[in-house]
Amino acid sequence: MGPDIAPGPDVPWRKVLWERQPFPDNYVDERFLEELRRNEGIRQYRYWAVVKEAVLVGQQLSCVAIFITFWLYMEQGLLSPEVLLWTSLIVGVLGYGLHNALRPQLGTDREPRTHLADLQSAAIFLSFTFGFSPVLKTLTESVSTDTVYAMSALMLLAHLVSFPYAHPSPTGSLSLNAALFASVCLASRLPGALHTFAMLSCALLMFALWPCLLQSIRDHAIGPSAWLCVAVCLGGVGGLGSRWLGGAVLLALALVSVILLCPLLLVKLQRHKDNIQGPWDEAEIHEDLCKVPY
Amino acid sequence: MVLKVFFPQCCNRAASGLLVGRWLPGRDTAVVLAVIHYPFIPSTVKQYLQKVQAQSQVPVEVLGSWSMPSEKQEGLDSFLRDLRTIFPQGRWLQVSREVGKTGFSCQLLPLALGEGGGGVGGFGASCPHGGGMEGGLNYFEMSHWQSEGREASIHGGADEAGLHPALPAAGLGGWAPSHAVSVVSAVLSYRLCPLRKANVLVSVLLDVFLGLLFISWLYREQRLARLASALMPAADRVSKELQELLQWLMGAPAGLKMNRALDQVLGRFFLYHIHLWISYLRLLAPFLEVILWYGGLSAALGLTFALSLLSDMLALLTFHIYCFYVYGARLYCMKLYGLCSLWRLFRGRKWNVLRQRVDSCCYDLDQLFIGTLLFTILLFLLPTTALYYLVFTMLRLMVVALQGMLHLSVDLINSFPVFALGLRVFTPYRLAEGVKFRVLSDEPGTALHLLMEMNALGFGSVVQTYRTPTYSCYPPDSWGALLRKLFVGELVFPWKRKTTKTD
Repeated sequence: MGPDIAPGPDVPWRKVLWERQPFPDNYVDERFLEELRRNEGIRQYRYWAVVKEAVLVGQQLSCVAIFITFWLYMEQGLLSPEVLLWTSLIVGVLGYGLHNALRPQLGTDREPRTHLADLQSAAIFLSFTFGFSPVLKTLTESVSTDTVYAMSALMLLAHLVSFPYAHPSPTGSLSLNAALFASVCLASRLPGALHTFAMLSCALLMFALWPCLLQSIRDHAIGPSAWLCVAVCLGGVGGLGSRWLGGAVLLALALVSVILLCPLLLVKLQRHKDNIQGPWDEAEIHEDLCKVPY
Repeated sequence: MVLKVFFPQCCNRAASGLLVGRWLPGRDTAVVLAVIHYPFIPSTVKQYLQKVQAQSQVPVEVLGSWSMPSEKQEGLDSFLRDLRTIFPQGRWLQVSREVGKTGFSCQLLPLALGEGGGGVGGFGASCPHGGGMEGGLNYFEMSHWQSEGREASIHGGADEAGLHPALPAAGLGGWAPSHAVSVVSAVLSYRLCPLRKANVLVSVLLDVFLGLLFISWLYREQRLARLASALMPAADRVSKELQELLQWLMGAPAGLKMNRALDQVLGRFFLYHIHLWISYLRLLAPFLEVILWYGGLSAALGLTFALSLLSDMLALLTFHIYCFYVYGARLYCMKLYGLCSLWRLFRGRKWNVLRQRVDSCCYDLDQLFIGTLLFTILLFLLPTTALYYLVFTMLRLMVVALQGMLHLSVDLINSFPVFALGLRVFTPYRLAEGVKFRVLSDEPGTALHLLMEMNALGFGSVVQTYRTPTYSCYPPDSWGALLRKLFVGELVFPWKRKTTKTD
């Protein structure tokens, strides 16, 4: 629909319809589509910046792999639950200390209350898990092994897909719940109630508390966080490789493709982007309800 | 002008005489009630007519003359004309018939000279015979309508005011027949109130009779004692069957894999319940025969009484099944409710009670953790609970079905209109739903002669119309609502009284 060929009279054409003009209603002059904007807001990606962000995705994948490694060790009896428990406890305390150290000091009056609340939460977690572990142990007795493995795999996949990579700290409900569901399914296959308890504590540490720590490290020290993620990835590959070589190979391939290949694709394909925006677009509201304080 | 005359069939073959009846006000319709034969004394006739009018409140008068001349009667016309002067009326109807023909010829002679009878229609109804009358001082012969039987019912139904009581001496019913069309619509209201009362009375009598029959069967040959002694072993067997069922559920029923721990807990709980129930029944055993003896006597009040008592006893004996059903249903319902709520938590949503919708929600870490643990536990324990709930619901539904059959039979005995059906079989003209007409003679020059007959009500519509409404309990839910309630685990109450409180 371009401008009509008929030469217009001397009156300039205005883009209004409530006045009778000597032009037909569908006439536009040479200013047609001047408000069209192409590829506005497109970001210029740089390869290594994208790789640094993608390392987070790889890190989460390796987390899951480390968890599965622990489970493999426990199931085959190579790791006793007490060792795992004590390790988790120590690591948890260390992580908590680091988290507190990294948080900006906002005054001493805020801290004791928060410490108490954290202690209360931890007590609730531990007592609940300990109390329910006999029940949890017998939960999947009657379900066949293949079903359990399939359910766990599905749930871990859901966890990876729905993880809030951009901002891990307030963990998304679906991702955390899926991970916990998978850990309960796997933990119920272990030989004893204490094994279940240990596994669940480990899962809690890795899926619920580690993202908080990671977030605070990322907020305050960008450089080390990337190397930390790389370390986690290597740890995951190594741990899995010690029990299951094929899995380690698969994991390595996945990591390489996610961390190195996909950013390359992203950067290369930016050339083909063709977005048009104009005054005809609908208004969009960008609001994250989780951030509303209540 | 079309004149309509209602004519009794018995008078078709009556000898010549005076037509007695009434004119319907406002309509060109005459109803002939009787034919007074010769000889008579006019003053006697007039006295008699006045007496009838006083007793029945119906304005009976002389309508005209009827002549069916046989060979020996000559000079009848002049005699009939003379009659006109004896009984002066506003309009004089002359109806005559030739022997051997079915057609009537009617003439209407007004007091003033004017048009004669044009097309006149007449009706007849079946009537077997006439009769003689005692009237006043002298005796005269009369052929008249029957106050009972089919004729009376036709005209009685046409009157919305209902039938007046028949005069004992005159044998004339007082009734006001109306236009043929309104007959069709008003017949069903005939004698409605007394019929319903008669229905109820006959039902009660039948009930008592059946109850007495039942007693006479039950109380001889020691049947009651044998029944009482057979009841305890029957209850024992039911309990043993239940125990075996529970043992089967505690194993691997039908190859389904249950959660062993929960299975054991639930199974042991219900087994203990059954043990309590057996003890209770054993306590009751010595008194059972006496209870049954006195309970059986209550059938003298009617078989429905005994059936209701039986239904209550069945409810008492299967009380443990009811208890199990309630436990199972509550457990299942709570589990489903918890599961739904925790599923919403799993996805990060919450039920907004104010807005009655599901909203997204930010949960705390400990809420998420505990919520997921509980969700997992409830999900894996669901098949076990669902199976127990299913089994006990089936048992409860069986008991409810038995009780329902008993209630249905009680309802049937109470509400079946035996009297109305008997009336329909023996005197069908009393319950009519319309009339039909048959053309008897349609020759030109004579009046159109139609035969009016009753259409009796069909048996199905008799039952439907005259059913006694009973205060029985009907199931409040439709099938769809019942299935939904069973699926969700809501308790199902099969009986609901008609007079329930409204919210």
